[in-house]
Amino acid sequence: MDAFWIILTGALVALNGALLGSFLLLRRMSLVGDAISHAVLPGIVVAYLFTASLTSPFLLLGAALTGLAATWIIETLNQKAKLQHDAAIGLTFTLLFAIGVILVASYTGQIDLDMDCVLYGEIAYVPLDTITLASGLDLGPKQVWTLGSLFIGLLGLLLVGYRGLSLTTFDAGYAAALGINTSFWHYALMAAVSLSTVAAFESVGAILVVAFLVGPAATAFLLTRDLKWMLVIASLAGILSAITGYYLALWLDGSISGAMAVMTGVIFAVAFVWQMWRGR
Amino acid sequence: MRPTFILLFAIVAALWMGCAPGPAPKRKPGEKIYIVTTTGMIADAVQHIAGDLATVDALMGPGVDPHLYKATGSDLNKLNKADLIFYNGLHLEGKMTEVLAKLGKKKPAIGLGDKLPEANLINYGTAHDPHIWFDVKLWSGTLPLIADALKAFDASNAITYTTNADNYKKELDELHAWVQQEMNTIPPDQRVLVTAHDAFEYFGKAYGIEVKGLQGISTVSEYGLKDVTNMVDLLVGRKIKAVFVESSVSDKALKAVVEGAADKGHTITIGGTLFSDAMGAADKPEGTYLGMVRYNVKTIVEALR
Repeated sequence: MDAFWIILTGALVALNGALLGSFLLLRRMSLVGDAISHAVLPGIVVAYLFTASLTSPFLLLGAALTGLAATWIIETLNQKAKLQHDAAIGLTFTLLFAIGVILVASYTGQIDLDMDCVLYGEIAYVPLDTITLASGLDLGPKQVWTLGSLFIGLLGLLLVGYRGLSLTTFDAGYAAALGINTSFWHYALMAAVSLSTVAAFESVGAILVVAFLVGPAATAFLLTRDLKWMLVIASLAGILSAITGYYLALWLDGSISGAMAVMTGVIFAVAFVWQMWRGR
Repeated sequence: MRPTFILLFAIVAALWMGCAPGPAPKRKPGEKIYIVTTTGMIADAVQHIAGDLATVDALMGPGVDPHLYKATGSDLNKLNKADLIFYNGLHLEGKMTEVLAKLGKKKPAIGLGDKLPEANLINYGTAHDPHIWFDVKLWSGTLPLIADALKAFDASNAITYTTNADNYKKELDELHAWVQQEMNTIPPDQRVLVTAHDAFEYFGKAYGIEVKGLQGISTVSEYGLKDVTNMVDLLVGRKIKAVFVESSVSDKALKAVVEGAADKGHTITIGGTLFSDAMGAADKPEGTYLGMVRYNVKTIVEALR
């Protein structure tokens, strides 16, 4: 069962990443996931200073709130200060991370407090952390339930907001002329990104989440120009990376998230070569 | 909608691909007990107590920083197969500590540091310094915990475990006395141990040497310019002869301190490399707990005496 749960967890992270990542790629903000992985540090430190516990759920809450704040700052800098997205992302996450480092140095220097120790999970241990009911019924890993609910929430957001999200992504001016509230969809997408990335960090660590936000969407973008197909191809590429990555990790006896992240790159490379060969 | 349909198909396929054989079979009578530990120091202690009755596997090999350890594909199998699990606790293993504590509901998984009397630990607020193995006396307090867990699992060999634990405790008691005696040969005004990060607090407390780390414990905190200047002033002011590099931390910062002191006309040597968060390679004397402590103490004493 362990292999099943690990691959399912990887596939759920991949699906969430592929769906959000496709929109991020088209908006030229793919690296926002990496930015959030750094920007959450001050939230964790402040939550620790209040709770004085390294295992408190408030640390995750602090991380989620800082993630939201980071995406809000990025969007505001982009819309109000007319700063392009890559510069806004760079400015925001370095500032927040630097605040976090200063807080660590001045208040918690004696304690091993950083994202690796208190936030980033490890996909290999997902099968060990199960939810067991009082009756003794084993419901499977906690992370599968968290990521699964996130996935259902994301599907709901896409079903309800597909028109708004896609129109504001491709042509914000046209969307505004149609009476669509463009900033609402910007902030809605960013909120979804920050919540799902922080939850995914807690389950499987940062590298895998960042890889799944960028790789599968980039692969799909090579192969299609239709957004619906892009979402599907990205999801397929993500799931394929999760499955092949798991077996690559077993074969090499290496890190599972590392191997899955490698496979997103390999699948992109295959798609790229195929595209070059086809376009000759 | 066609794309949605294909997506559903893919999810079902992923679920099916993942189905694999279930958990490992139970141990047969007469078979060796399989024990998994996180650090090499714990594996060494457990192997001494269990002797030939158990196979002991440490997840973290020589030179691995436990704070930054990344699991491999086979770690989960080892943890699932294990009859008993011993880990350091006190958050040394980071997020993994939570997983191991959860696993403790299904099989014996003992966080040794978590069970030591709190009064003997170094506390920072509600958090504790996890580097308990640097105080040999404190570390020998984990031996009864290991022996009790083994006895609870395998009562038929209880006497063996008690005898082995007593014998190993004697070795550690001798080691403790030896370390104290060696450290006392350093002139009192030279008893300052300067390293890159704060792992040696227990060592300092137990053996009367002042410990100065250049950076904090957390890996995101970097040494600042002021840290270097303060350190140089301290070393020059007290005429300290040597600073020490750790096997798992970069020596760049300490080289800055050495150069800073040289500018002020005070020569400091790098006293050698200390094993801090992991032991040495298995085929060397430093690959055992006893060897590692002796090596560290010899290095410190030779450089500061």
